Amino acid sequence: MSARARLWVFLVGAAGFAALFAAACFDLPAFGTVPHPYGVRAVRAALSHHTANVIASVNFDLRAFDTLGEETILFSAVLGTVVLLRQARDEHRTDPEPAVVHPRVRRFALLTLPFALLVGLYVIAHGQVSPGGGFQGGVVAATALHLLYIAADYRALERVRPLALYEIGEAAGEAAYVITGLAAVLAGSAFLANVLPFGTLATLSSGGTVPVLNAAVGLEVASGVVVLLARFLDQAVEIEEPGEDGGSPRGSGDSGGNGDDERERA
Amino acid sequence: MDTARLLPLVVAVPLLGAAVLVATGRRLPRLVSDIVGCAFAAVTAATALLVLFRAGRPGPGAYPVEWVSGWRRVGIVLVGDPLGAGLAALVSLLVVAVLVYSWRYFEEPPRRHTGSFPALILVFQAGMCGFALTGDLFNAFVFFELMGVVAYALTGFRVEEPKPLQGALAFGVVNSLGGYATLLGITLLYARTGELGFAQIGRRLDTEGPDGLVLAAFVLVTTGLLVKAAAVPFHFWLPDAHAVAPTPVCMLLSGVMVELGVYGVARVYWTVFSGPGGLSHPDFTRALLVLGVLTALLGAAMCWQQRHLKRLLAFSTVAHTGLFLIGVAVLTPEGISGTALYVLGHAGVKAALFACVGVLLDRYATVDEHELFGRARELPEAGALFAVGGLALSGLPPFGSGLGKAVAEEAAGHTAAWLPALYVLVSAVTGGAVLRAGLRIFAGAGRRPRDGEEDEPETTGEEEPETGGRLRRIPVPLLAVPAALLAASLAIGVIPAVGSAVGRAGALFTDTGGYRRTVLDGHAAAAPAHPPPHWQLTGILLGLLSAALAVTLATLAVRRPARTGTAALLAPVRRLQSGHIGDYVAWLVAGTALLTVLTVPGVR
Repeated sequence: MSARARLWVFLVGAAGFAALFAAACFDLPAFGTVPHPYGVRAVRAALSHHTANVIASVNFDLRAFDTLGEETILFSAVLGTVVLLRQARDEHRTDPEPAVVHPRVRRFALLTLPFALLVGLYVIAHGQVSPGGGFQGGVVAATALHLLYIAADYRALERVRPLALYEIGEAAGEAAYVITGLAAVLAGSAFLANVLPFGTLATLSSGGTVPVLNAAVGLEVASGVVVLLARFLDQAVEIEEPGEDGGSPRGSGDSGGNGDDERERA
Repeated sequence: MDTARLLPLVVAVPLLGAAVLVATGRRLPRLVSDIVGCAFAAVTAATALLVLFRAGRPGPGAYPVEWVSGWRRVGIVLVGDPLGAGLAALVSLLVVAVLVYSWRYFEEPPRRHTGSFPALILVFQAGMCGFALTGDLFNAFVFFELMGVVAYALTGFRVEEPKPLQGALAFGVVNSLGGYATLLGITLLYARTGELGFAQIGRRLDTEGPDGLVLAAFVLVTTGLLVKAAAVPFHFWLPDAHAVAPTPVCMLLSGVMVELGVYGVARVYWTVFSGPGGLSHPDFTRALLVLGVLTALLGAAMCWQQRHLKRLLAFSTVAHTGLFLIGVAVLTPEGISGTALYVLGHAGVKAALFACVGVLLDRYATVDEHELFGRARELPEAGALFAVGGLALSGLPPFGSGLGKAVAEEAAGHTAAWLPALYVLVSAVTGGAVLRAGLRIFAGAGRRPRDGEEDEPETTGEEEPETGGRLRRIPVPLLAVPAALLAASLAIGVIPAVGSAVGRAGALFTDTGGYRRTVLDGHAAAAPAHPPPHWQLTGILLGLLSAALAVTLATLAVRRPARTGTAALLAPVRRLQSGHIGDYVAWLVAGTALLTVLTVPGVR
């Protein structure tokens, strides 16, 4: 199809879509009028299970099964990336070169790293009390590790990043979620039912299984993001295309990770 | 254990298996990870079959309903009605067959990741089973996305070649856009009703009349599901993805995943929109009938034109999806039961045909009908399976596909008298295309097709076998699995108990009030009485007619190859399948508008 024809097909379709969606928007409930029927029930349910963060209660208690699916989407996306970005037959690996980093950058990154890691763990642990939880905290914790890449170089990152361990961590996080659900079945309740004691509202031990599931997700997300970034960084830093010469410097048009390398060396 | 308690296990067990495989994949030898994968898939299949067995007949355990997390009405519900449970069982059995088929199939698994292929397949199984069993719209979306993510990765599995990645990209982009449309529709419904369960949304909608919001929600939710079902004009991703995906993955994509899109459309309509506050029956019938007929005709026409065997089978899937959509569009229990039987029979047949193509690919490093001319005379077993598959695809009695076609076309005939003719035509053309390819490849019949003026862009001779080197000897699973699949398809048509169970499933599926009462009020619905689908004289005769037509078409095509007249006539249609993702996206948006136009008189 020519670009012109494509544009026309799209425009006609988009016009129809816009008309449909506009009509729908006029029928939406007015803003800020009645209490939302689901909101009312969700707050009641969250309080009955002593979970101060209602959103965590929806995600990890009322609709914990959805979150299992979402966690699995991330899990399989990482797995798919591992498969798709694997070293192909005609590619080979080179050792990353050591990089020189400006001392100020190094000091800043090394100083920030433990704090960022701590924040990540805090956010995971306090999901039932305050905004955050396993998904958010997991990403923060995984990002923290990558400060090492900025502070030193790729080889330093590789030393604190035994990928096999993180892959096991990712799988363990996924398995822990499922096993928590199955434990509830063994205890005679529904799958993923909140069977643990609910504790005192707004404390670290409140919410029953909510913090347990948050920890499982946190482990999965943190490990998964590390594995995911490792695959992309490997492609950028270590894996050479068949045509490329092992030692030659690369053009400036290369992908982000390599560009960083160049800048650091400069 | 209580039947309802088993429902979440159908999702949980394969996920646990995937986690085990990823955790241990680095250390396990390939054989062990294959065995672990098969074991988890088989346990899931056994669980799904147990649920189906209890749900498939009246008595204790029929129509199990499980509120996951134990939150009645606020949480997520899984419903094991016979049709949903049956689909979960079909998915699980096909996954087991695929894992057995791919036993030592790939040349070498990704280095240090022997477990990743079976792990991805297990997650795929979990996603599809979850989609079939859920009674919650948002949960269905989550599983819809999960199926997608895994399927994109599986499609692009062979990263050494550029084509799988392009096919996977088109698949990913188009399906993700469909997913966004569905999500947008879900938010509209949630804004209106404050509910996410099928039954709850449906009840709330029925307290008011339909309006623009309901119509938009229907169009948007259905768009995503129709993308998955590869209905025209949302179908472009399917041939591109199926042509390049590894054969075992094609078996799952064509055998069950696409059909789950059709199931989704039917499930959402019957539970959410079929009441007075939804979309009226005639409007739904009109919209889906138009799309179904277009899909069936275009799929059949394109199928006949292909010489790349995987594309040929892919377009045959498009054509049959059109027929399934028609079966759903007529909105009768018979239409649903007939389509369900058709899907069951088709799954076995189509997977078996893909399995045979896999054998050819791995032995001859090509799946081009012309290049393979006469070369597979040395594989009589595979040839016999391929021929039987082609005949079964054309609806030959007593195969399950034949029974499903017979029941569905009779149901469709009550809506429009010409629809049975379409069923006969489409199944004859698609079956005929398969038989034509089979005659040329396995028997070397007719004249050697000339190459030259009709060199098509989508036909390539540069396929690579998926088993490392070319196979010298065909391993047993590569032939045993298609044989078993065809036997299963035959059994579906022959065993009367299957027919009566599916008849009951269709009756329960279309009983909207019964579904809502069972889910929300805990009164198990009894199936309204009506005769189970069975072989009737008209159906048998029409089945024989389409099989005979298929054989005739195949023989004629082999005798007098390459008449350029019809090819030129269809050239504009062929060019639409351009491989350009922008085109596909434009058609997706246009398709949403088309669906709107087809349903818009529904606002009263």
